[in-house]
Amino acid sequence: MKVVKVGLSLVITVALIYFLNRSWNFGTPIPPLGKFLDPFGGFWQNAEVKERENETLLLEGLTDEVIIHYDSLLIPHVFAKNDEDLYLAQGFITAQNRLWQMEFQTHAAAGRISEIIGAAALDYDRTQRRRGMVFAAENALKSMEGDPVAKAMVDSYTRGINQYIESLSYKDLPLEYKLLNYSPEPWTNLKCGLLLKNMALTLNIGDKDLEMTNALKLFGKDIVELLWPDDEMMGDPIVDNTGNWKFEPVTLDSLPLALPDELITITPLEKPSKDVGSNNWAVSGSKTHTGSPILCNDPHLNLTLPSIWYVIHLQAPGVNVMGASLPGSPAVISGFNDSIAWGVTNAQRDLVDWFKIEFKDQNKSEYLSDGQWKAARKVIEKFSIKGADPFYDTITYTHHGPVTFDESFHGDSELKSYAFRWIAHDPSEEILTFYKLNRGKNHDDYMEALNHYASPAQNFVFASTSGDIAMRIQGKFPVRRKFEGKYVLDGTKTANEWQAFIPNDQNVMYKNPVRGFVSSANQYPADATYPYYITATSYEAYRNRRINKLLTEMSDITPRDMMEMQLDHYNLKAAESLPAFLSYVDTTTFSQPQRNAYRILSAWDYENSIESEAASYYEAWWDSLFPLVWDEIKNSKIALDYPTAYQTIKLLKEKPDLSFFDVVETPEIETARDIVHQAFIKGVEKIETWKAEKKKEPHWADYKDTFIAHLLQGLPAFSYHVEHGGNHDIVNASNGRSGPSWRMVVSLEKTKVRAWGVYPGGQSGNPGSPYYNSMLSTWATGEHYPFQFEPEANKIKTVISSITLKPATK
Amino acid sequence: MKFVIQLLGTIVVCFILQSFLPWWTMAVGAFTVAYLVGNKGLLAFVAGFVAVAILWLGMAFYIDALTHSILTEKINRLLPLNAFVATLIVGGLVGGFASLTGSLIRDRR
Repeated sequence: MKVVKVGLSLVITVALIYFLNRSWNFGTPIPPLGKFLDPFGGFWQNAEVKERENETLLLEGLTDEVIIHYDSLLIPHVFAKNDEDLYLAQGFITAQNRLWQMEFQTHAAAGRISEIIGAAALDYDRTQRRRGMVFAAENALKSMEGDPVAKAMVDSYTRGINQYIESLSYKDLPLEYKLLNYSPEPWTNLKCGLLLKNMALTLNIGDKDLEMTNALKLFGKDIVELLWPDDEMMGDPIVDNTGNWKFEPVTLDSLPLALPDELITITPLEKPSKDVGSNNWAVSGSKTHTGSPILCNDPHLNLTLPSIWYVIHLQAPGVNVMGASLPGSPAVISGFNDSIAWGVTNAQRDLVDWFKIEFKDQNKSEYLSDGQWKAARKVIEKFSIKGADPFYDTITYTHHGPVTFDESFHGDSELKSYAFRWIAHDPSEEILTFYKLNRGKNHDDYMEALNHYASPAQNFVFASTSGDIAMRIQGKFPVRRKFEGKYVLDGTKTANEWQAFIPNDQNVMYKNPVRGFVSSANQYPADATYPYYITATSYEAYRNRRINKLLTEMSDITPRDMMEMQLDHYNLKAAESLPAFLSYVDTTTFSQPQRNAYRILSAWDYENSIESEAASYYEAWWDSLFPLVWDEIKNSKIALDYPTAYQTIKLLKEKPDLSFFDVVETPEIETARDIVHQAFIKGVEKIETWKAEKKKEPHWADYKDTFIAHLLQGLPAFSYHVEHGGNHDIVNASNGRSGPSWRMVVSLEKTKVRAWGVYPGGQSGNPGSPYYNSMLSTWATGEHYPFQFEPEANKIKTVISSITLKPATK
Repeated sequence: MKFVIQLLGTIVVCFILQSFLPWWTMAVGAFTVAYLVGNKGLLAFVAGFVAVAILWLGMAFYIDALTHSILTEKINRLLPLNAFVATLIVGGLVGGFASLTGSLIRDRR
């Protein structure tokens, strides 16, 4: 009997430990509770205080001592004696603050999220692999490692990260590892490539070739031109150089492009948000108070925690640079040094094409190309899945790129396969661009640095202490015939392929324009005399005109003016549409709330400020109107894309009888006037419901609800709601889920470069650190921090801790 | 008296073990102390439970106070149970059953 008791007790104890030492999924995932709750090693150990101790650490691979001062924002100021030590230290320090995020983002890029969270992520992972993300990163790696400078840089960075990983015991692991019960794997140079390709994915995967092909078949060419023009002609291209493109453009033989005539019944992949965009501008000294140029940049990306950006100051002989870096890539991406500053916005250009493939048979081992059967390459991808058996997917590669869609993935027919050609698949050496920009002294250096940049295409703004300002749209752009790239292409003819690329010196660019400023906000790049065909999913229509109007009017500009301009809340879209919309509304049958809304809207100053109620009414109205206008597209069983807001408003005003304004479901024939009225009723109803639910007035910031979401599907415990104005199509492009992920203002004074910046998060990726969200409220209230850009270590003030890295003797 | 000895002994031994080794070595400590001290069944369980609960809660409270509850509040939102209560139950149960096993094995002789 006693033996039974002993046995029972022992079994319970061991079973308990087993149960509490591993993670489970009973509908909701459960962390390994014993490990997780243990205050000696579990989550408790991740709680931090503001104060940090000074440390001296020994690192292998260092040749000299590196001093790092963390200032009061936890921005590291890194002082090294040579480049290798500098990037080793950057890798080490970045990992110390952002390791989990770095690995998670590269796992996401590589299609490996199922390993961490289970089968729910399998479709996402397959999408990543079928887009050829790893293939792209491997190609990038080959060219990175082919260049001695880039290789040394990435090698050192990787080495720094790995020494941090090796130093970790369970209790030091970032919180998310403990929560999801896994541990970091060694970092590799490939992961740096994956990280950059992940950015390319965010910025350059947008395409609507399948949707436009369907639209062409369903509606015909005239409607396509009316609804989806390549250039909306709203005025302000990034570079207006009319008549002065003095070069001989590359031409292709004038083979007319055959337009497709088919319906494609594929479910397209999820698209990144169209609201991802950015602003940048630089004003010349002639317009500023100090007489020196000022440069500004605010990239609009998903607002996530840990933040996309990590601010760092890197100093070594030949380099003294500060700005926003991407955790997972060496160097500074958007920043400034003691001579120049630069920033980026997305160039939008369509650099994604779909080629229809004709396979010989169901084995898919050969496909047709110019009358010949070409051999396809098959790659078997293994997907490890947490809590389940691995999944295998065979991906066929053609010379165009991977066959993304086939009968096993989002397709419907065995015969139809579409291969994916993407500029980011090509070898490229972007990392060298940033290496050189970080060290650039003048406009020539900037131009040389950009020659190494291929993808994702960006509008690079530039200013220097010597007084130059410039803009250059840099990327690797194929020379296209008219309409090429807008629709799916016939993959059996090589004549349809990308034959040549626009030479770097023929890209859209200019320097020191007469108007005294350069700017870009994802709008159409050039005037109509630029000799190459340009197409994109969409170009921005409002922010760019507002920015240019403000900059044209301003003079004697101070950095503070520029900071305020980044927070501009004027809604140009509303200013251009609301008067017409209000005139369409039938005011005779109003209820009390409708009359009230109409009155508030009529008195609006078009500012999407935090308190504005009119902004809430307008946006609710617009959000009801848009799907009502395009009900044909919304309800279509075949994939179609929506026209832009700009084009929609233009049509509502100029062509009120357009057949699309009729709501198909109703027997009546509606015009623009009718649906604008209907949308008004719906919009007011939406607001009334919101008011009743929340029991408060519909102030814009509350109604919009800006949410800064933790990377793990916005885990509420690690995410924040903040009150913030702005919206898409407004200079402060914060729409609630995406927006200014980094705001920077740099004054390039000859005596000293001064800079300010902020981002919606904090320097630490640890939810248990006071620095996890320490800049968030400053960002939300529209303030910037002055940066301590000091050339010498002992000049950094408010140092909260110093780390000395010393070479380990081995 | 033996209760207090087991209680204090478990706290000290488990504290030392956990300072260097994984969390579950606490069970080995609790087991060993219970075996050596020799309280009877239920008493051994209670002593082990209370000892590890005190140790874990003490450490948790210490960290919580030091860091102004910065993470505790977040984990409270994450777990269906208060983080301190969850810590107490998990630590206590393992400590208690390990001690019970130790005491029963000694008793078997």
